[in-house]
Amino acid sequence: MASRSSDETSAQATPHAVSAAMGGSADAGDRPDATDARERFEAMAGAHLDRLYGAALRLTRSRPAAEDLVQDALLKAWRSFHTFQEGTNARAWLYRILINAQYDRHRKEARAPEVIAEDVDDAYLHAHAWESAQLRDAGNPEIQVLDGMMDDAVRESLEALPLSFRAAVLLVDVEGFSYREAAEILDVPVGTVMSRLYRGRHALRRRLWEYARDRRYVRGDGA
Amino acid sequence: MNCQEALEKLWQYLDRELDGESSVQLQRHLQHCRECFSKAEFECRLRALLRRSCGCDQAPPELRERLSRLLRMF
Repeated sequence: MASRSSDETSAQATPHAVSAAMGGSADAGDRPDATDARERFEAMAGAHLDRLYGAALRLTRSRPAAEDLVQDALLKAWRSFHTFQEGTNARAWLYRILINAQYDRHRKEARAPEVIAEDVDDAYLHAHAWESAQLRDAGNPEIQVLDGMMDDAVRESLEALPLSFRAAVLLVDVEGFSYREAAEILDVPVGTVMSRLYRGRHALRRRLWEYARDRRYVRGDGA
Repeated sequence: MNCQEALEKLWQYLDRELDGESSVQLQRHLQHCRECFSKAEFECRLRALLRRSCGCDQAPPELRERLSRLLRMF
């Protein structure tokens, strides 16, 4: 990941906005502006809160951690709200801060780096994509397998992906961001988004297939 | 466009990230190839499933209230 020190710096260095927002030590003339800014920020954050929380759940895999992450991210966003340009993509801006905050936590918490199969080449994956995503049996249409798939299984399969793949799949497949928007949010080139998406999607399909296979095994009607 | 090319481009097509000419070629292939069409349909259904199961959470009301309180303090 590229450094985001400039964002972090600007997020930290806003005593003026913060004190003005508190309505305390700032110039009296700043107060109406600050109140107005806070109202605009609250409206913006409020409108996206459910989706941000959902994304935080997938990123952290736990409710308390997701609440902490959203709180942390929105306070950071508020501190750097003066750098946000009205009329630009608020949702993408908030996701960027949320995901940066998660990456910061992840770096601090990770005892060992995630093992990511970056050495598997695309040709291999292409060749095996549709066979190994064997959500398809002879005479058993794949779609029936999906119909029996529990929401929990889908969530768990997504949450089991390494963070960088999970973030790409979450942004594009769940949140509907374009490749370019996802690239800006993740601060990586578009090609990297495509590669992570590609690998993440394959890994997700493999897990779902394993789930379907195991389930049928448990029910004893094949496998 | 043959099946392998179609499958290689399928995700980009469904993501609406494929250029116009390739999209037209892929669409044409899907109209004639039942197997690729069913894979495309599977991908659409899987995406809908992913959105339904992973994109419908609601933030707890306590979080909303806490944030509102915190924003007034900071």
